[in-house]
Amino acid sequence: MSDLAHEPAVGHPEHESTGIENRKLGMWVFLSSEFLFFGALITNYLLYSNRSGFEGIYPAEIYDIPFTSVSSFVLLMSSLTMVLAHNALSRNDQNGARTWLFATAALGAVFLGGQVFEFTEFIVEYGMTLSTNPAASAFYVLTGFHGTHVAIGVIMLLSLWGISRRQGGLSEKHGLNLELVGLYWHFVDIIWIVIFTVVYLLSVPV
Amino acid sequence: MTSDQHDNHPTPAQYWKIAGFLALLTAIEVSLFYIDHALGLGIFNAIMLLGLSAVKFLVVVGWFMHVRYEKPVISRFFTAGFVLACSLYLVVLAALGVVAIRG
Amino acid sequence: MTATAERPTTTTIFRRPKSTSGLWGWITTVDHKKIGIMYGYAAFTFFIIGGVEALLLRIQLASANSEFLTAGAYNALFTMHGTTMIFLFVMPVGAAFMNYLLPLLIGARDVAFPRLNALSWWIFFFGGIFLYSTFIFGTSLPPITPGGISGNLAAGGGPGSFNFLAASPDGGWFGYQPNAGPLYSPGTAMDYWALGLQILGLASLISSINFIVTVFNMRAKGMRLLRMPVFAWMSTVVAFLLLFSLPIIAVALFMVTFDRQFGTLFFEPVGGGDPILWQHLFWLFGHPEVYILILPAMGIVSEVLPVFSRKPLFGYSAVIFAGAAIAFLGFGVWAHHMFASGITPVAQAAFGLATMTIAIPTGIKIFNWLGTMWGGRLKLSTPMLFAAGFVAMFTIGGLSGVTHSVVPSDWQQTDTYYIVAHFHYVLFGGAVFGIFAGLYYWFPKLTGRVMNPRLGKTHFWLQFIGFNLTFAPMHWLGLQGMVRRTWKYAPEAGLETWNVAVTIGAFIIALSIAVFMYNWIHSRRHGELSGLDPWDARTIEWTTPNPTPEYNFATPPEVTRLDHFWHLKYEEDEEGRAVRRAEADQVIADLEYDGLNPKHPIHLPAPSYFPIIMAMGLPLIGYGIIYHTATWGKVLIGVGVLISLSALIGWAIEPLEEPMDHGPEHDVDEFDEQIIEPSEEAEELVIDE
Repeated sequence: MSDLAHEPAVGHPEHESTGIENRKLGMWVFLSSEFLFFGALITNYLLYSNRSGFEGIYPAEIYDIPFTSVSSFVLLMSSLTMVLAHNALSRNDQNGARTWLFATAALGAVFLGGQVFEFTEFIVEYGMTLSTNPAASAFYVLTGFHGTHVAIGVIMLLSLWGISRRQGGLSEKHGLNLELVGLYWHFVDIIWIVIFTVVYLLSVPV
Repeated sequence: MTSDQHDNHPTPAQYWKIAGFLALLTAIEVSLFYIDHALGLGIFNAIMLLGLSAVKFLVVVGWFMHVRYEKPVISRFFTAGFVLACSLYLVVLAALGVVAIRG
Repeated sequence: MTATAERPTTTTIFRRPKSTSGLWGWITTVDHKKIGIMYGYAAFTFFIIGGVEALLLRIQLASANSEFLTAGAYNALFTMHGTTMIFLFVMPVGAAFMNYLLPLLIGARDVAFPRLNALSWWIFFFGGIFLYSTFIFGTSLPPITPGGISGNLAAGGGPGSFNFLAASPDGGWFGYQPNAGPLYSPGTAMDYWALGLQILGLASLISSINFIVTVFNMRAKGMRLLRMPVFAWMSTVVAFLLLFSLPIIAVALFMVTFDRQFGTLFFEPVGGGDPILWQHLFWLFGHPEVYILILPAMGIVSEVLPVFSRKPLFGYSAVIFAGAAIAFLGFGVWAHHMFASGITPVAQAAFGLATMTIAIPTGIKIFNWLGTMWGGRLKLSTPMLFAAGFVAMFTIGGLSGVTHSVVPSDWQQTDTYYIVAHFHYVLFGGAVFGIFAGLYYWFPKLTGRVMNPRLGKTHFWLQFIGFNLTFAPMHWLGLQGMVRRTWKYAPEAGLETWNVAVTIGAFIIALSIAVFMYNWIHSRRHGELSGLDPWDARTIEWTTPNPTPEYNFATPPEVTRLDHFWHLKYEEDEEGRAVRRAEADQVIADLEYDGLNPKHPIHLPAPSYFPIIMAMGLPLIGYGIIYHTATWGKVLIGVGVLISLSALIGWAIEPLEEPMDHGPEHDVDEFDEQIIEPSEEAEELVIDE
């Protein structure tokens, strides 16, 4: 029987029926809905990139595969630094956690920089804009939304890094937040794994 | 700390190895791309690339996102979303003529 | 002696709100019950507005070749009627019920994320206002032909009055492209529509995550999933439907906004865009959406029927699994809204077949409801009338729905009033009747009083007659060829007589709603006191005093079986009949006493400013996007982002509850003064109607 004098308050239940913290379960539930979001965008791209006869240049004609491979590698490695951050925190290595957090944010920023560079190339060099044709529209909106997700992730990572610096480390509450940001970050990475293959590698005409 | 259910938590060294494996797969993917453009692998290119991506996907989900060590309810949610998305959008792509359903 | 819930206090730079009553109490509340009440009042206001829009449509259609409305005004009215009723009435009223009841039904003190809950509400509130501000700010211009020449449709679309409405969204609640795109709906009205729905969708998505985590994690001891009340189950299913369908419409709305504002070519045939893609994406959301609209009402009916039949729900597990099956199958039938859009015969056959299968779980539910009533000792109180009305009316609507699943038949029915008849039978005869059943049933939990039974019955019969008079004729009007979404019909068509009947019916409905509103307002202050358990109910929300105390349960319940409360009161004799336990009245009196007199301090999440502030940023971003070509539009986007971001940061720093400060302030309102002695309340707890 629960001890009423020390009854746990709402928001910090000690006995969640699933045994998983509320916020963690919430993050997983949210991420599973994001499949529907990115799925629609990817479907949109597949539809239009496979329709011939549009005027103007198709994205697949101008992909820079070596460049994108490098930035894909960068994002993939940022998932490594993310788990290392989480791992460090679980061993109470606050400095290590902080370092790896910053590294993850840095790699994310490099990836974003690559995206910006790619978009600029496409627009300035090749004249492919949002309005060139539906395939171009689809490409920009898909990778644009993915990039926005990465940017939000970088902000969250830097926030945690900042909090850690100010407070000399992450408390238990923030420790959970690091895990949650990590889940989000890995998700953004796996979406890119799909995008890299389906949108880039498989799109370019032989 | 956070959930203490994992005694078989990967060590940092293991995480590095996993990352190396992922990097290797990526390198193979990119190589396949060039091989396909040189030799024309046909449908095998798509199958292998999708297969490699699937492996990378599952490795990140299983180890980095920790699903291997979590309670089943989490993988059920995640799988449900993924399966639903794939099913719905495959049907849409078929209806729009992008993919052909044989038979 | 009474230790009511303690409000934490704190001292930081910005003092945390402490008050739980008065205007600030409502603005900063994170209490699921208050949030539910606010949802309810807002939704009902939109119900009235949507109803007025419908009455204007009906006045126009009461005579052939009427010039009461211009074509443009007519289009705007049916667009906003549909949009309002679906997104601003039925969904939020469902949210009202789910917010108020879910924690009570599962034995919790609040939802998993109370501040997120408040955020959902405020996003909805501001989103609704943003959407409706189109009537003030929106513009709807004649279409632009591909050559850039303005079309020759007169502003407002022809002769007639009420032209001012013609500047509002007029692309239908379904926004078909490219009609609702930049070429054929220039001006800003459809941007208000698209961005308004985007904001509203976000509110529901956040809610769905909240409810799923609440149901999975916050159940009381012994409250296994298969012991939860049916309404809790239906709420969970709805949450999953929302979770997986809203992202799809979000993408679609982003795409149409980008088409309209940023020059993308997703749905513009001139540039190569595919209008059918819009239909797929919209209906991928749109079909699960209709199950989102009906399942809460089905849950309510599953709660009400057993109580007023004095029998357990027939086939509890079957009803639940049927609900889950309806939701699951509901994801697979969306293209039945596209049978006449040119999809392939294979697609038509597949979706037609899939649609027919949904009749199976639906039929299971209907038969189980009938089985619940069969052989029961029926008490025809107002909630029961509406619940029984639901079963009958929804069945009729479902039957016409089955006729739509036959593809060639659907080709005849599409775009006629036959379809209008179908969905109003399921949505009004179904969802709205169910909603009223719930409002009468749970009114005591909100107010501690019962609604007037005679007025309730008057409301029911007026609504029942008015509803059937309005929508039954639409079946044959449709089969006779009366076309939807068209502002006039010719006198030679012979449609006028029944259209007059329909319009009369619509006004009878309006009268019935007026009766309800009077009853509600009057009963809140002057209704007969309900006491605890006025309906001799089965589920644990009735173990708390009426109105529900702020902290819900003084002692978290421990549930031993389905219909736990019923079994505290009744046991079965050798023939399986319910016999009231000797100690039942004492049990109830003790529950009420304990409910008003918690033995120990109860911690509740503290109020917060941040949800409302964060929500305020979103419509500003919306306005900014619409007017982004102007500098002030861009500034507005920045301001909106800044407001929401700052609120987010403040929120992240603010703990859910503050460290306890002994001797906290709390506001005593009238109900705190009730002190119930066990012996007094042991008598006459059941209200006879």
